[in-house]
Amino acid sequence: MFAYVVRRLLGGIPIILGVTLITFLLLNVVGGDPALQMAGKSATEADIQALRAEYGLDKPLFYQYLDYLKQVVTLDFGRSFKTKEPVADMIRAQVGPSLSLTLPALIATSILAVSIGLIAASFRQRVLDRGLMALSVMGMSISFLVYIVVGQYALAFQLRAFQIHGYDSDLVGRWQYLILPIIVLVVVGLGYDTRFYRSVLVEEITRDHVTTAIAKGAAPVRVLTRHVLRNALIPIITRIMISLPFLVTGSLLLESFFGIPGLGAQLLDAIDSADFPVIRALTLLISVLFVVTTVLNDVLYAVVDPRVRLE
Amino acid sequence: MQPVSPSKPNAARRPTEPRSEVSAAPRPRQRTSQRHAARVLGALLGGLLLLTLTSAAPGCKSPPKWEQGKRYFHYSARAKVGTFDPVRNSSSYDNLAQSQVYETLLEYEYLVRPYELRPLLLKEMPKESEDKLRYQFELKPGVRFHDDPCFSKQSWPFPEPRPDEPAGTGREVVAQDVIWSLMRMTDRANSPTGWWLYRDRIRGLDDFKARMDKRPVGAPFEWTAPIEGFQVTGRYTFEIALTTPFPQFLDVLAMGTSAVVPRECAEHYGPEFSSHPVGTGPFKLEEWVRGSFLRYTKNEKYHPSSYPDRAAPEFEARGLLADKGKQLPLLDGLVFHIFEQDQPMWLKFRVGDLDATQTPAEYHDLVFNPDHSLRSALADEGMGSFPLPLLDFIYRGFNMEDPIVGAMGPGFTPEQTARAKKLRQAISAALDTREINLAFYNDNNVLYDGPIPPGLSGHISDPPSPMRGLNLERAKRLLAEAGYPGGKGLPVLQLHTSRGSNSEEQGEMLIRQLGRVGIRIELQLSSFPELQDKLQRKKAQMFGLAWGADYPDAENFLQLFYGPNKTPGSNKFNYDNPEYNRLFEQARVMSPSPERDALYAKLRDMVIEDCPAIGSMARTRSYVWNQRVKNFMPSEVYHSWYKYIDVEPR
Repeated sequence: MFAYVVRRLLGGIPIILGVTLITFLLLNVVGGDPALQMAGKSATEADIQALRAEYGLDKPLFYQYLDYLKQVVTLDFGRSFKTKEPVADMIRAQVGPSLSLTLPALIATSILAVSIGLIAASFRQRVLDRGLMALSVMGMSISFLVYIVVGQYALAFQLRAFQIHGYDSDLVGRWQYLILPIIVLVVVGLGYDTRFYRSVLVEEITRDHVTTAIAKGAAPVRVLTRHVLRNALIPIITRIMISLPFLVTGSLLLESFFGIPGLGAQLLDAIDSADFPVIRALTLLISVLFVVTTVLNDVLYAVVDPRVRLE
Repeated sequence: MQPVSPSKPNAARRPTEPRSEVSAAPRPRQRTSQRHAARVLGALLGGLLLLTLTSAAPGCKSPPKWEQGKRYFHYSARAKVGTFDPVRNSSSYDNLAQSQVYETLLEYEYLVRPYELRPLLLKEMPKESEDKLRYQFELKPGVRFHDDPCFSKQSWPFPEPRPDEPAGTGREVVAQDVIWSLMRMTDRANSPTGWWLYRDRIRGLDDFKARMDKRPVGAPFEWTAPIEGFQVTGRYTFEIALTTPFPQFLDVLAMGTSAVVPRECAEHYGPEFSSHPVGTGPFKLEEWVRGSFLRYTKNEKYHPSSYPDRAAPEFEARGLLADKGKQLPLLDGLVFHIFEQDQPMWLKFRVGDLDATQTPAEYHDLVFNPDHSLRSALADEGMGSFPLPLLDFIYRGFNMEDPIVGAMGPGFTPEQTARAKKLRQAISAALDTREINLAFYNDNNVLYDGPIPPGLSGHISDPPSPMRGLNLERAKRLLAEAGYPGGKGLPVLQLHTSRGSNSEEQGEMLIRQLGRVGIRIELQLSSFPELQDKLQRKKAQMFGLAWGADYPDAENFLQLFYGPNKTPGSNKFNYDNPEYNRLFEQARVMSPSPERDALYAKLRDMVIEDCPAIGSMARTRSYVWNQRVKNFMPSEVYHSWYKYIDVEPR
């Protein structure tokens, strides 16, 4: 397995290089001129040229790309053009708030969606199943923005059950600000996930071995966990693992409405201000996480399903 | 071998179950299984609900420990703060954040309008020489920087020995600090954004900057290099010599970018100085969670500085002089909450978590009556309001080097120039700014002609100039005179604007308005960096932009049309009219006087006639505050006025 993992990780290098090249080209073609942003509103051509020289933006593209690759290899992304802070420090400071929001939401959504999917599958084609699926479709049909706006207004403003907006750098203090956005994120994701897991579980629950287990008098818990859930783990794992790389980038809309200083808002801000070092670092971070989670996905397949062998 | 999906072999091994199996009624054991699953789900949902309710409500409303019993003012900021380094100050939000910590030599009177300068770090107003080329300054003695670890024996920047003070004690501000702070503007390593304000202004400074720009990477900055225009004449006294008279020079010294910083701290923190401010201001930065909030605490060692005893009659009538003579700041601290969206900002104000805010456009009708007075229900709550007219120039501009809409300059025939001018005038006449104001600004904006906003000498709003729309007959006639009767033969014009809250909708309205006379417009939305790029490359035929005053003088707006300021400078129109340039050069060195006002009016009228920019509007910001706030008189020209505010403890 070790050799397999190493081989897959090495295989990810060309993908990451491809991402760096595409990001670099896109930024340099349509990303605007960072020197213009830095120079202020009344700069002269000489001021702008001086800034381009200062930041190496006057070099031929090939050499700029080599500089970027050097940053990738050394994991030193330099400083933000806008704030002058080390990019690594910025990401470190903001990945926490993003994960504080997205990780609990992913866990809660997955547990709830699998559970509801299990209920729906058990009651397949009956009123409860149809009702749950109708609710799921309804949930999916409502815009993310509506959940945020209504949730903030009704639950935080009218009922005063939650904080409206804000953040606390203290790990304990921040939860009062995070609960409502987490609930919104869970509700938004629940419809999609429930429908998906329900279809996976229906397929499993109607298999012969489940019928046999029930016929042999196996306890319901055993049937659901050992015979149904266990066999459905592969698609469940796949769905969760696909979400993982995007957890670090948070949720732009939620961060923006609830004042959570996460990476989603940071990425948008960097794009708006042509802050190339930050955009490049975040893009690279997501692509690396993608490669790593893909490999981890395969490893987990092998762990949960003895028929899968990593060679 | 690649991982194998188990579902495929399973599917191959076992034929798909008959559909009847799927819909078959559950058997007894299955029912048990269903009941169990339902119980599991019920328990899960119940648990989550309980967890949510128990962790949400309690404790939400009690103020945090640092605020208990203290007088903190909570205010909303509408965008992120980028930097605390004054020389890199690039937005009013940077200014807002920095102005609490850093101070300038001069500031504006809090309660006097039109704006008047008064000494802040200075003992008295500077003395101007007869020829208006030399200013003498004297600092207040005893003003000290905030305590910070950057002050130490090792970092002491003066030749004389450091006084016997504990490390970390903020030292006294001296004349050399002002010179060093201004010199930082010439160091490209600082990415200074305010250099343009000093360019060609101070004797010897441009040459010094040119030398510093050419120094090799890593070579030290020459702090001790002599600069003709800067003379330190004593511990607290210094002189600044200008190249030409610059009547707005003192206004520039009152801008946040000219704030006084300790050189050793800027060197100690290097690039991190932008997030580690050390100033002399009434507040110290305690906590900065980027994108969320900034928290300041009172500077207990703030220099003697008292609440003003002068006020405009209308402010005095509102009781704003009640605290006159009191030592500043009046607050124990400040919190700026950063909002990117309007709803949370307004709701947070309504629940009392914010003490004051700007009224978002979509809430305007809920808060104000049609005559813009506060609704009685809110007034009964003790809420206060103030409509603040901004020194704004919102416009639609033309690239004057474009052959269709501009045709200004040596490459064009007089006929082409005249046709393009008629076309711009036709567009101006077809533009209905009243409709835009009503639809997007709650009829709150001030519509005017030319580039000088209300509140400044040279402004004109009534009667509207004949160039201003809406006058469809005139627009049609001008369009025909331009050679495009009914728009025939006129190519589709490109309007470039940055993506924003309602840019697209405003663009659509413009397309409809101009379409009425046959002018076709295509909207080009882009990010702000892309728009800047297009303007820099002179590729934006028409564009929507805005300019906010750097200082309260019409010169700051008229320079937008000065030929030598063409792109990449502030003249994004690339308007280059020799007569305009000549008059501007004459006006820019004149002190405030009726003669200068007359020149400003001439310059304004040339812009109105030539139409490089049309549809001028200035926003009015509706500020509201709750009953625990005292002395609230907002301004967006400067941001150091929070030290005058007082609140009841929460």
